[in-house]
Amino acid sequence: MTTAVVLAVYAVVGATLGAVLLRRASWPQRAPRLGIATWQALSASTLAAMVLAGAALSVRLPSLSTDIAGLFRACLMNLRAGYATPAGSLATTIGLAVALSVGGRALWCLVLALAGTRSQQRRQLRVLAVLAHRDTALGALVIDHSSPAVFCLAGRGRPIVLTTAALAALAPVELAAVLAHERAHLRGRHHLLVTATRGLARAFPGVPVFRDANEQVACLVEMVADDAACRGSRPEVVASAVLALADGTAPTTALAAGKSSVEVRLLRLQSPLSPLGPSRRFVLAGLVSVLIFAPLMLAAVPAIAAADVDHCPLGDSALTLTW
Amino acid sequence: MRAFGDLEAAVMERLWSWEAPATVREVLEDLTKQRPLAYTTVLTVMDNLHRKGFLLREREGRAYRYRPASDRAAYAAELMGEALADSGDRVGALLQFVEHIPPAEVTKLRAALDAAADARQRRR
Repeated sequence: MTTAVVLAVYAVVGATLGAVLLRRASWPQRAPRLGIATWQALSASTLAAMVLAGAALSVRLPSLSTDIAGLFRACLMNLRAGYATPAGSLATTIGLAVALSVGGRALWCLVLALAGTRSQQRRQLRVLAVLAHRDTALGALVIDHSSPAVFCLAGRGRPIVLTTAALAALAPVELAAVLAHERAHLRGRHHLLVTATRGLARAFPGVPVFRDANEQVACLVEMVADDAACRGSRPEVVASAVLALADGTAPTTALAAGKSSVEVRLLRLQSPLSPLGPSRRFVLAGLVSVLIFAPLMLAAVPAIAAADVDHCPLGDSALTLTW
Repeated sequence: MRAFGDLEAAVMERLWSWEAPATVREVLEDLTKQRPLAYTTVLTVMDNLHRKGFLLREREGRAYRYRPASDRAAYAAELMGEALADSGDRVGALLQFVEHIPPAEVTKLRAALDAAADARQRRR
Protein backbone atom coordinates (compact mmCIF):
# COMPACT_ATOMS: atom_id res chain seq x y z
CA MET A 1 0.00 0.00 0.00
CA THR A 2 2.69 2.46 0.98
CA THR A 3 4.63 1.58 -2.14
CA ALA A 4 1.62 2.38 -4.28
CA VAL A 5 1.09 5.69 -2.50
CA VAL A 6 4.76 6.63 -2.77
CA LEU A 7 4.80 5.80 -6.48
CA ALA A 8 1.56 7.69 -7.13
CA VAL A 9 2.84 10.76 -5.27
CA TYR A 10 6.11 10.54 -7.21
CA ALA A 11 4.15 10.39 -10.46
CA VAL A 12 1.94 13.36 -9.63
CA VAL A 13 4.80 15.49 -8.32
CA GLY A 14 6.96 14.64 -11.31
CA ALA A 15 4.18 15.36 -13.75
CA THR A 16 3.35 18.73 -12.26
CA LEU A 17 6.19 20.21 -10.20
CA GLY A 18 8.86 18.46 -12.25
CA ALA A 19 7.44 19.89 -15.45
CA VAL A 20 7.29 23.40 -13.99
CA LEU A 21 10.89 23.24 -12.77
CA LEU A 22 12.20 21.96 -16.07
CA ARG A 23 10.22 24.45 -18.11
CA ARG A 24 11.57 27.36 -16.05
CA ALA A 25 15.17 26.14 -16.21
CA SER A 26 17.53 28.01 -18.49
CA TRP A 27 20.12 25.27 -18.93
CA PRO A 28 18.28 23.30 -21.67
CA GLN A 29 19.05 26.08 -24.15
CA ARG A 30 22.73 25.62 -23.41
CA ALA A 31 22.62 21.85 -23.74
CA PRO A 32 19.60 21.06 -25.90
CA ARG A 33 20.37 17.35 -26.32
CA LEU A 34 20.54 16.92 -22.57
CA GLY A 35 17.35 18.95 -22.27
CA ILE A 36 15.55 16.62 -24.66
CA ALA A 37 16.83 13.55 -22.76
CA THR A 38 15.62 15.04 -19.48
CA TRP A 39 12.15 15.75 -20.82
CA GLN A 40 11.89 12.23 -22.21
CA ALA A 41 13.18 10.76 -18.94
CA LEU A 42 10.73 12.79 -16.87
CA SER A 43 7.83 11.74 -19.09
CA ALA A 44 8.81 8.07 -19.03
CA SER A 45 9.47 8.19 -15.30
CA THR A 46 6.09 9.64 -14.32
CA LEU A 47 4.31 7.28 -16.69
CA ALA A 48 6.14 4.24 -15.33
CA ALA A 49 5.55 5.37 -11.76
CA MET A 50 1.78 5.63 -12.32
CA VAL A 51 1.62 2.20 -13.94
CA LEU A 52 3.74 0.66 -11.19
CA ALA A 53 1.63 2.36 -8.53
CA GLY A 54 -1.39 0.55 -9.88
CA ALA A 55 0.55 -2.67 -10.11
CA ALA A 56 1.86 -2.30 -6.55
CA LEU A 57 -1.67 -1.77 -5.29
CA SER A 58 -2.92 -4.96 -6.88
CA VAL A 59 -0.02 -7.31 -6.67
CA ARG A 60 2.33 -7.38 -3.77
CA LEU A 61 5.66 -8.29 -5.27
CA PRO A 62 7.13 -11.36 -3.65
CA SER A 63 10.74 -11.39 -2.57
CA LEU A 64 13.25 -10.99 -5.35
CA SER A 65 14.46 -14.20 -6.80
CA THR A 66 15.82 -15.36 -10.09
CA ASP A 67 13.14 -18.00 -10.45
CA ILE A 68 10.93 -16.24 -13.00
CA ALA A 69 8.29 -18.96 -13.08
CA GLY A 70 8.16 -18.96 -9.28
CA LEU A 71 7.85 -15.19 -9.36
CA PHE A 72 4.84 -15.38 -11.66
CA ARG A 73 3.18 -18.01 -9.51
CA ALA A 74 3.76 -15.94 -6.38
CA CYS A 75 2.36 -12.85 -8.09
CA LEU A 76 -0.76 -14.75 -9.13
CA MET A 77 -1.19 -16.09 -5.61
CA ASN A 78 -0.87 -12.56 -4.27
CA LEU A 79 -3.40 -11.33 -6.80
CA ARG A 80 -5.89 -13.97 -5.80
CA ALA A 81 -5.22 -13.29 -2.13
CA GLY A 82 -5.91 -9.65 -2.83
CA TYR A 83 -9.48 -10.57 -3.61
CA ALA A 84 -9.83 -12.45 -0.35
CA THR A 85 -11.06 -9.44 1.59
CA PRO A 86 -13.53 -6.74 0.39
CA ALA A 87 -11.04 -3.94 1.02
CA GLY A 88 -8.34 -5.97 -0.61
CA SER A 89 -10.42 -6.70 -3.68
CA LEU A 90 -11.34 -3.04 -4.10
CA ALA A 91 -7.71 -2.04 -3.88
CA THR A 92 -6.68 -4.80 -6.25
CA THR A 93 -9.31 -3.84 -8.80
CA ILE A 94 -8.44 -0.16 -8.64
CA GLY A 95 -4.79 -1.00 -8.90
CA LEU A 96 -5.24 -3.18 -11.95
CA ALA A 97 -7.53 -0.64 -13.59
CA VAL A 98 -5.02 2.15 -13.11
CA ALA A 99 -2.06 0.13 -14.31
CA LEU A 100 -3.79 -1.26 -17.38
CA SER A 101 -5.58 1.91 -18.41
CA VAL A 102 -2.59 4.25 -18.02
CA GLY A 103 -0.15 1.83 -19.60
CA GLY A 104 -2.57 0.80 -22.30
CA ARG A 105 -3.55 4.36 -23.17
CA ALA A 106 0.09 5.44 -23.47
CA LEU A 107 0.98 2.49 -25.67
CA TRP A 108 -2.10 2.89 -27.86
CA CYS A 109 -1.54 6.61 -28.46
CA LEU A 110 2.15 6.11 -29.21
CA VAL A 111 1.35 3.45 -31.78
CA LEU A 112 -1.39 5.63 -33.30
CA ALA A 113 0.96 8.63 -33.52
CA LEU A 114 3.65 6.56 -35.20
CA ALA A 115 1.20 5.05 -37.69
CA GLY A 116 -0.26 8.47 -38.48
CA THR A 117 3.15 9.94 -39.10
CA ARG A 118 4.16 7.04 -41.34
CA SER A 119 1.05 7.22 -43.46
CA GLN A 120 1.32 10.96 -43.93
CA GLN A 121 4.98 10.62 -44.86
CA ARG A 122 4.16 7.95 -47.44
CA ARG A 123 1.49 10.13 -48.98
CA GLN A 124 3.76 13.16 -49.09
CA LEU A 125 6.59 11.14 -50.62
CA ARG A 126 4.22 9.93 -53.36
CA VAL A 127 3.24 13.48 -54.23
CA LEU A 128 6.84 14.66 -54.06
CA ALA A 129 7.83 11.95 -56.53
CA VAL A 130 5.70 13.55 -59.21
CA LEU A 131 5.93 17.20 -58.18
CA ALA A 132 9.54 17.71 -57.25
CA HIS A 133 12.79 17.74 -59.23
CA ARG A 134 15.92 16.30 -57.78
CA ASP A 135 18.77 18.80 -57.62
CA THR A 136 21.83 16.57 -57.57
CA ALA A 137 24.18 19.45 -56.71
CA LEU A 138 22.23 20.17 -53.53
CA GLY A 139 21.28 16.58 -52.85
CA ALA A 140 17.71 17.74 -52.27
CA LEU A 141 14.31 17.96 -53.95
CA VAL A 142 13.00 21.26 -55.32
CA ILE A 143 9.34 22.16 -55.64
CA ASP A 144 8.00 25.01 -57.70
CA HIS A 145 6.13 27.16 -55.16
CA SER A 146 5.79 30.85 -54.36
CA SER A 147 6.18 30.53 -50.59
CA PRO A 148 9.68 30.00 -49.21
CA ALA A 149 9.89 26.80 -47.20
CA VAL A 150 12.45 24.12 -46.45
CA PHE A 151 11.63 20.87 -44.72
CA CYS A 152 12.80 17.31 -44.39
CA LEU A 153 10.89 14.06 -44.37
CA ALA A 154 11.77 10.85 -42.64
CA GLY A 155 10.88 7.72 -44.53
CA ARG A 156 12.13 6.44 -47.83
CA GLY A 157 15.01 8.46 -49.24
CA ARG A 158 14.84 10.91 -46.29
CA PRO A 159 14.54 13.86 -48.67
CA ILE A 160 15.19 17.48 -47.89
CA VAL A 161 12.72 19.62 -49.83
CA LEU A 162 13.08 23.27 -50.81
CA THR A 163 10.68 25.51 -52.68
CA THR A 164 11.89 27.63 -55.60
CA ALA A 165 10.98 30.68 -53.50
CA ALA A 166 13.28 29.46 -50.73
CA LEU A 167 16.17 29.03 -53.18
CA ALA A 168 15.59 32.57 -54.38
CA ALA A 169 15.47 33.96 -50.83
CA LEU A 170 18.71 32.36 -49.59
CA ALA A 171 22.28 33.37 -50.26
CA PRO A 172 24.63 30.44 -51.01
CA VAL A 173 26.15 30.48 -47.50
CA GLU A 174 22.67 30.59 -45.98
CA LEU A 175 21.60 27.68 -48.16
CA ALA A 176 24.52 25.60 -46.90
CA ALA A 177 23.55 26.39 -43.31
CA VAL A 178 19.92 25.42 -43.93
CA LEU A 179 20.90 22.10 -45.51
CA ALA A 180 23.23 21.35 -42.58
CA HIS A 181 20.34 22.07 -40.19
CA GLU A 182 17.99 19.70 -42.00
CA ARG A 183 20.62 16.95 -42.21
CA ALA A 184 21.08 17.22 -38.45
CA HIS A 185 17.34 16.56 -38.01
CA LEU A 186 17.61 13.43 -40.14
CA ARG A 187 20.77 12.19 -38.38
CA GLY A 188 19.24 12.70 -34.96
CA ARG A 189 15.94 10.98 -35.84
CA HIS A 190 14.12 14.04 -34.55
CA HIS A 191 10.89 13.07 -36.30
CA LEU A 192 10.65 10.10 -33.97
CA LEU A 193 11.15 12.24 -30.85
CA VAL A 194 8.54 14.74 -31.95
CA THR A 195 6.06 11.97 -32.78
CA ALA A 196 6.58 10.32 -29.39
CA THR A 197 6.06 13.51 -27.38
CA ARG A 198 3.01 14.33 -29.47
CA GLY A 199 1.60 10.86 -28.86
CA LEU A 200 1.92 11.17 -25.09
CA ALA A 201 0.50 14.70 -25.08
CA ARG A 202 -2.55 13.37 -26.95
CA ALA A 203 -2.79 10.38 -24.63
CA PHE A 204 -3.05 12.47 -21.48
CA PRO A 205 -4.29 15.93 -22.46
CA GLY A 206 -3.70 18.63 -19.91
CA VAL A 207 -1.09 16.75 -17.89
CA PRO A 208 1.69 19.35 -17.59
CA VAL A 209 4.69 17.11 -18.15
CA PHE A 210 3.42 15.64 -21.42
CA ARG A 211 2.04 18.92 -22.73
CA ASP A 212 5.25 20.81 -21.89
CA ALA A 213 7.50 18.03 -23.17
CA ASN A 214 5.68 18.25 -26.51
CA GLU A 215 6.28 22.02 -26.79
CA GLN A 216 9.81 22.06 -25.41
CA VAL A 217 11.18 19.07 -27.32
CA ALA A 218 9.98 20.65 -30.59
CA CYS A 219 11.92 23.83 -29.76
CA LEU A 220 14.95 21.94 -28.50
CA VAL A 221 15.34 19.81 -31.64
CA GLU A 222 15.48 23.04 -33.67
CA MET A 223 18.24 24.27 -31.35
CA VAL A 224 20.17 21.01 -31.76
CA ALA A 225 19.93 21.42 -35.54
CA ASP A 226 20.90 25.11 -35.33
CA ASP A 227 24.00 24.13 -33.34
CA ALA A 228 24.90 21.62 -36.04
CA ALA A 229 24.48 24.32 -38.69
CA CYS A 230 26.73 26.63 -36.66
CA ARG A 231 29.54 24.09 -36.83
CA GLY A 232 29.87 24.74 -40.57
CA SER A 233 28.66 28.35 -40.80
CA ARG A 234 28.83 31.51 -38.72
CA PRO A 235 25.91 31.95 -36.31
CA GLU A 236 24.98 35.25 -38.01
CA VAL A 237 24.56 33.38 -41.29
CA VAL A 238 22.27 30.79 -39.69
CA ALA A 239 20.30 33.62 -38.05
CA SER A 240 19.82 35.48 -41.32
CA ALA A 241 18.73 32.21 -42.98
CA VAL A 242 16.12 31.74 -40.23
CA LEU A 243 14.77 35.21 -40.83
CA ALA A 244 14.85 34.89 -44.63
CA LEU A 245 12.67 31.78 -44.50
CA ALA A 246 10.41 33.00 -41.68
CA ASP A 247 9.27 35.78 -43.98
CA GLY A 248 6.67 34.08 -46.09
CA THR A 249 3.37 34.44 -47.82
CA ALA A 250 1.70 31.54 -46.06
CA PRO A 251 -0.94 32.39 -43.47
CA THR A 252 0.84 32.95 -40.22
CA THR A 253 -0.26 31.80 -36.82
CA ALA A 254 -1.21 34.41 -34.29
CA LEU A 255 1.68 34.96 -31.93
CA ALA A 256 1.18 33.94 -28.35
CA ALA A 257 2.21 36.34 -25.65
CA GLY A 258 5.92 36.39 -25.04
CA LYS A 259 8.67 35.53 -27.46
CA SER A 260 7.93 33.52 -30.58
CA SER A 261 10.11 30.45 -31.06
CA VAL A 262 11.74 32.25 -33.99
CA GLU A 263 12.80 35.09 -31.70
CA VAL A 264 14.12 32.63 -29.12
CA ARG A 265 16.21 30.90 -31.78
CA LEU A 266 17.52 34.19 -33.14
CA LEU A 267 18.47 35.46 -29.68
CA ARG A 268 20.27 32.21 -29.01
CA LEU A 269 22.18 32.44 -32.30
CA GLN A 270 23.12 36.08 -31.88
CA SER A 271 24.55 35.82 -28.40
CA PRO A 272 25.75 32.26 -28.06
CA LEU A 273 25.43 31.12 -24.47
CA SER A 274 28.40 29.39 -22.96
CA PRO A 275 27.96 25.65 -23.16
CA LEU A 276 27.41 23.81 -19.90
CA GLY A 277 30.55 22.79 -18.07
CA PRO A 278 31.38 19.10 -17.74
CA SER A 279 30.52 18.94 -14.03
CA ARG A 280 27.04 20.30 -14.61
CA ARG A 281 26.54 17.91 -17.52
CA PHE A 282 27.58 15.05 -15.30
CA VAL A 283 25.07 16.05 -12.64
CA LEU A 284 22.31 16.37 -15.22
CA ALA A 285 23.16 13.02 -16.79
CA GLY A 286 22.92 11.59 -13.28
CA LEU A 287 19.52 13.21 -12.88
CA VAL A 288 18.33 11.56 -16.10
CA SER A 289 19.49 8.16 -14.84
CA VAL A 290 17.79 8.68 -11.47
CA LEU A 291 14.56 9.59 -13.22
CA ILE A 292 14.69 6.49 -15.37
CA PHE A 293 15.40 4.07 -12.54
CA ALA A 294 13.50 5.68 -9.65
CA PRO A 295 10.08 4.12 -10.31
CA LEU A 296 11.54 0.62 -10.59
CA MET A 297 13.57 1.07 -7.44
CA LEU A 298 10.61 2.39 -5.50
CA ALA A 299 8.45 -0.48 -6.69
CA ALA A 300 11.10 -3.01 -5.79
CA VAL A 301 11.69 -1.74 -2.22
CA PRO A 302 9.24 -4.13 -0.50
CA ALA A 303 10.51 -7.01 -2.58
CA ILE A 304 14.08 -6.21 -1.56
CA ALA A 305 13.01 -5.87 2.06
CA ALA A 306 11.28 -9.25 1.85
CA ALA A 307 14.39 -10.89 0.47
CA ASP A 308 15.38 -11.89 4.01
CA VAL A 309 12.04 -13.43 4.75
CA ASP A 310 12.04 -17.07 3.84
CA HIS A 311 8.39 -17.90 4.27
CA CYS A 312 5.58 -17.01 1.90
CA PRO A 313 3.88 -13.97 3.44
CA LEU A 314 0.36 -15.12 2.69
CA GLY A 315 -0.81 -16.03 6.16
CA ASP A 316 -3.87 -14.00 7.19
CA SER A 317 -2.02 -12.03 9.83
CA ALA A 318 0.78 -11.22 7.44
CA LEU A 319 -1.72 -10.00 4.81
CA THR A 320 -3.65 -7.67 7.12
CA LEU A 321 -0.65 -6.37 9.04
CA THR A 322 1.73 -5.73 6.22
CA TRP A 323 -0.57 -3.80 3.90
CA MET B 1 10.39 2.03 -57.55
CA ARG B 2 12.86 4.78 -56.92
CA ALA B 3 14.44 4.29 -60.33
CA PHE B 4 11.21 5.53 -61.88
CA GLY B 5 10.96 8.61 -59.66
CA ASP B 6 12.28 11.07 -62.20
CA LEU B 7 10.38 9.40 -65.00
CA GLU B 8 7.10 9.71 -63.10
CA ALA B 9 7.79 13.43 -62.66
CA ALA B 10 8.69 13.76 -66.36
CA VAL B 11 5.48 12.04 -67.47
CA MET B 12 3.28 14.14 -65.17
CA GLU B 13 5.10 17.26 -66.37
CA ARG B 14 4.17 16.57 -69.99
CA LEU B 15 0.57 15.70 -69.28
CA TRP B 16 0.14 18.83 -67.18
CA SER B 17 1.66 21.08 -69.79
CA TRP B 18 -0.15 19.51 -72.78
CA GLU B 19 -3.55 19.96 -71.13
CA ALA B 20 -4.94 17.19 -73.34
CA PRO B 21 -5.20 13.47 -72.72
CA ALA B 22 -2.39 11.45 -74.30
CA THR B 23 -1.56 7.85 -75.05
CA VAL B 24 1.57 6.03 -73.92
CA ARG B 25 2.96 6.22 -77.46
CA GLU B 26 2.55 10.03 -77.58
CA VAL B 27 4.32 10.46 -74.23
CA LEU B 28 7.05 8.01 -75.25
CA GLU B 29 7.74 9.92 -78.48
CA ASP B 30 8.25 13.11 -76.52
CA LEU B 31 10.40 11.52 -73.81
CA THR B 32 12.72 9.72 -76.22
CA LYS B 33 13.82 13.08 -77.60
CA GLN B 34 15.82 13.42 -74.36
CA ARG B 35 16.85 9.83 -73.68
CA PRO B 36 16.24 6.39 -75.12
CA LEU B 37 13.33 4.62 -73.45
CA ALA B 38 11.40 1.45 -74.07
CA TYR B 39 7.64 1.49 -74.68
CA THR B 40 7.15 -0.99 -71.85
CA THR B 41 9.02 1.27 -69.43
CA VAL B 42 6.76 4.25 -70.10
CA LEU B 43 3.72 1.94 -70.09
CA THR B 44 4.66 0.63 -66.63
CA VAL B 45 5.25 4.14 -65.27
CA MET B 46 1.92 5.44 -66.56
CA ASP B 47 0.15 2.38 -65.28
CA ASN B 48 1.73 2.93 -61.85
CA LEU B 49 0.67 6.58 -61.87
CA HIS B 50 -2.85 5.46 -62.66
CA ARG B 51 -2.74 2.96 -59.83
CA LYS B 52 -1.53 5.63 -57.42
CA GLY B 53 -4.37 7.91 -58.44
CA PHE B 54 -2.41 10.59 -60.27
CA LEU B 55 -3.78 9.69 -63.73
CA LEU B 56 -7.22 8.82 -65.04
CA ARG B 57 -7.65 6.85 -68.24
CA GLU B 58 -10.17 5.95 -70.93
CA ARG B 59 -9.96 3.16 -73.37
CA GLU B 60 -9.35 4.16 -76.97
CA GLY B 61 -9.27 1.14 -79.17
CA ARG B 62 -6.53 -1.11 -77.82
CA ALA B 63 -4.73 1.57 -75.86
CA TYR B 64 -5.59 3.95 -73.07
CA ARG B 65 -5.65 7.73 -73.20
CA TYR B 66 -4.37 9.17 -69.92
CA ARG B 67 -5.03 12.51 -68.28
CA PRO B 68 -4.02 13.98 -64.90
CA ALA B 69 -6.51 13.48 -62.08
CA SER B 70 -5.78 16.93 -60.70
CA ASP B 71 -3.71 19.91 -61.76
CA ARG B 72 -0.21 20.54 -60.48
CA ALA B 73 -1.20 23.59 -58.45
CA ALA B 74 -3.71 21.55 -56.47
CA TYR B 75 -1.08 18.96 -55.47
CA ALA B 76 1.47 21.63 -54.65
CA ALA B 77 -1.05 23.56 -52.58
CA GLU B 78 -2.05 20.46 -50.66
CA LEU B 79 1.53 19.41 -49.96
CA MET B 80 2.67 22.90 -49.00
CA GLY B 81 -0.47 23.41 -46.98
CA GLU B 82 0.48 20.44 -44.86
CA ALA B 83 4.10 21.52 -44.72
CA LEU B 84 3.29 25.04 -43.57
CA ALA B 85 0.48 23.97 -41.26
CA ASP B 86 -0.17 25.50 -37.91
CA SER B 87 2.20 23.99 -35.38
CA GLY B 88 -0.78 22.68 -33.48
CA ASP B 89 -1.68 20.42 -36.38
CA ARG B 90 1.86 19.31 -36.74
CA VAL B 91 1.81 15.59 -37.34
CA GLY B 92 5.53 15.13 -37.07
CA ALA B 93 5.77 13.70 -40.56
CA LEU B 94 8.00 16.56 -41.64
CA LEU B 95 10.20 19.02 -39.80
CA GLN B 96 10.10 22.52 -41.22
CA PHE B 97 13.17 24.74 -40.99
CA VAL B 98 11.20 27.65 -39.52
CA GLU B 99 7.54 28.59 -39.31
CA HIS B 100 6.23 31.75 -40.94
CA ILE B 101 5.65 34.71 -38.66
CA PRO B 102 3.69 37.93 -39.24
CA PRO B 103 5.47 40.55 -41.39
CA ALA B 104 5.56 43.06 -38.51
CA GLU B 105 7.45 40.54 -36.39
CA VAL B 106 9.88 39.87 -39.25
CA THR B 107 10.63 43.59 -39.60
CA LYS B 108 11.21 43.93 -35.88
CA LEU B 109 13.55 40.93 -35.73
CA ARG B 110 15.43 41.98 -38.85
CA ALA B 111 16.06 45.41 -37.31
CA ALA B 112 17.40 43.73 -34.18
CA LEU B 113 19.61 41.43 -36.28
CA ASP B 114 21.02 44.38 -38.25
CA ALA B 115 21.64 46.36 -35.06
CA ALA B 116 23.58 43.43 -33.61
CA ALA B 117 25.63 43.12 -36.81
CA ASP B 118 26.44 46.86 -36.68
CA ALA B 119 27.52 46.56 -33.06
CA ARG B 120 29.82 43.69 -33.98
CA GLN B 121 31.24 45.69 -36.88
CA ARG B 122 31.96 48.70 -34.65
CA ARG B 123 33.74 46.55 -32.09
CA ARG B 124 36.23 45.34 -34.68
